[in-house]
Amino acid sequence: MNLALRDVRRHIARFVGTAAGLGLLLSVVVAMQGIYAGMVDDATILTRAMRADLWLVQRDTVGPFAEASRLDPSVEARASAVPGVRRARPYNYQLIQREHRGAVLRIALVGLGWPDDPGHTLPLVRGRHLAQPHGEMIVDASLGLGLGESLVLAGEPYRVVGLTRNALTSGGDSVAFMTVGDTQLVAFDQSAEATLLERQRVVERLRRTDLGRGQPALEDLARDPRWRAPALASPPLAAVLIDADPHRIAEVQATVRRWGDVTVYTQGEEETLLLSGVVQRARMQIGLFTVILTLTAAIIVMMIMYNLTLEKTHDIAVLKLMGAPRGRLLGLVLQQAWLLGVLGYAVAYAIGELLFPMFPRRVLITTAISVIAPIATLGIVTLASVVGLSHVMRIDPASALEG
Amino acid sequence: MTDAVRAVNLSKTYGAGAAAVVALDKVDLTLPQGTVAALLGPSGSGKSTLIKALGFVSPGDTGEVFFEGRLVVKDGRPLADLAQLRRRHLGFVFQKANLTSFLTARENVEIACEFGGKTDGRRRARELLDYLEVAHREHAYPEMLSGGEQQRVAIARALANEPSLILADEPTAALDSVRSRSVMELFRKVAHDRGAAVLVVTHDHRALDVFDVLYEMEDGRIRPSAHRSV
Repeated sequence: MNLALRDVRRHIARFVGTAAGLGLLLSVVVAMQGIYAGMVDDATILTRAMRADLWLVQRDTVGPFAEASRLDPSVEARASAVPGVRRARPYNYQLIQREHRGAVLRIALVGLGWPDDPGHTLPLVRGRHLAQPHGEMIVDASLGLGLGESLVLAGEPYRVVGLTRNALTSGGDSVAFMTVGDTQLVAFDQSAEATLLERQRVVERLRRTDLGRGQPALEDLARDPRWRAPALASPPLAAVLIDADPHRIAEVQATVRRWGDVTVYTQGEEETLLLSGVVQRARMQIGLFTVILTLTAAIIVMMIMYNLTLEKTHDIAVLKLMGAPRGRLLGLVLQQAWLLGVLGYAVAYAIGELLFPMFPRRVLITTAISVIAPIATLGIVTLASVVGLSHVMRIDPASALEG
Repeated sequence: MTDAVRAVNLSKTYGAGAAAVVALDKVDLTLPQGTVAALLGPSGSGKSTLIKALGFVSPGDTGEVFFEGRLVVKDGRPLADLAQLRRRHLGFVFQKANLTSFLTARENVEIACEFGGKTDGRRRARELLDYLEVAHREHAYPEMLSGGEQQRVAIARALANEPSLILADEPTAALDSVRSRSVMELFRKVAHDRGAAVLVVTHDHRALDVFDVLYEMEDGRIRPSAHRSV
């Protein structure tokens, strides 16, 4: 006869209630671990999605995610010419906030190097990759935009052609991928008035100089709609991504390192920059919070187990007096602790499945969490039952005779 | 007739020095199998201490206890596995029935059978409940049973392993006179039908005619009672 199950059966409502309470507590612990894992994953997902060997950014910066980076577009062509480089791609990254259908959207725009990089490295869940250099974008599903829906940016509509999942920045903002050209258009959107004013300023300057007065054709050139004023010249890139021959990455890195206007990072270094800088404090905070929550859960389980045992003191004394083997009585406490742990974890798991997808921040239940959390739960309840077990050992069977 | 239990020169003292209280003072007691005996005496006379010593729960400081002719405790030292002795050969009945609260009436008896190593615990539990006329309450939890029913189940539990000795500590204290007598008669029936020795601590003088022998304790000493027995 299993005494633990008999006791649970007798007090089923209270036991289930206790397990549900424990489950809620465990779900918070798991959620914190999931948010922590999600934060780490989000911080590196953008760099990993690009699958580049090397990242070239503005000299002495830790861009493009940890801080702003501006590179002259010519760096792309220069990098392409380095021996060992198979492909150099322009890359842009910027955060924008727009209103759409009455909701505020915070979007991290990532520019892909068209036509070499239409987004083949992105894990699409629906739709397709970019098929034209302008007016299309791939967005993360968390943005809430549907396939075929259009978003107006810098006065022009951009149609959603593909959806990704979990493409988020370290700040939790959803990512939209478009061509580098489009991101530049959005980032450096100039109103017609600004363009006209700049052209007029150039004409006025020409009229005040001998050069302008001597060559009137220059004034015509400045009025030509195809001409772009220097102040409105080609916007910079955030980075240039290099795909190198696998065995020549170090060689390419050494070559580019000698350039005066760029800093080069490997994929791993770029991820480290993000983890050690952008999300370091948040990681530490959540990490500490997780530790405190785990300890709190352990103490609460310990008190629950102790109370469950304490209220059975007389029953256990009687059973001891009847000569119950010690293992049966210890098993009563231990098996209940395990059952509580299993039920509690099941509740936490169900809560996770139902509620975690609704959290504003991504809760990433990694394989490690999936494996460690139930084992840790069993470990905690086993450890927590030690006080109960010790109480069982101390119960004097003679106390059963004392009424 | 074989002796179920025999205590020789059994003594026990609580505390030390000026605060020492002699609970058992050179007690000699023999209970043959098939005997139902009452142990009378005022509170603090040492009745419960004697029950604990004879039940191998709290041994005396000096003296010897023989169980079925075998020396099992000498001067407070166990010479046998006392838990196993309790499991297989002893039955306890308490003032309150002290049934395990989370087990049904039948399970309370069945678990005692299990502890005693019986493989047919369920069948035996039903038989005993039937014998004590509470079989119809086998699925009830203790709190659903009346005081008399609880004591009957407790007696069934005490009988689970066909014990040689049943120790009952004021088993009728919480019962009215009718139920009290009924329980005492059950003890007599158990002793005579099944050959167990039964020692009942009681303050209830209304049913003393049920017992084969009466003992009285005072200040830790035991003597045959002046009350009339059957």
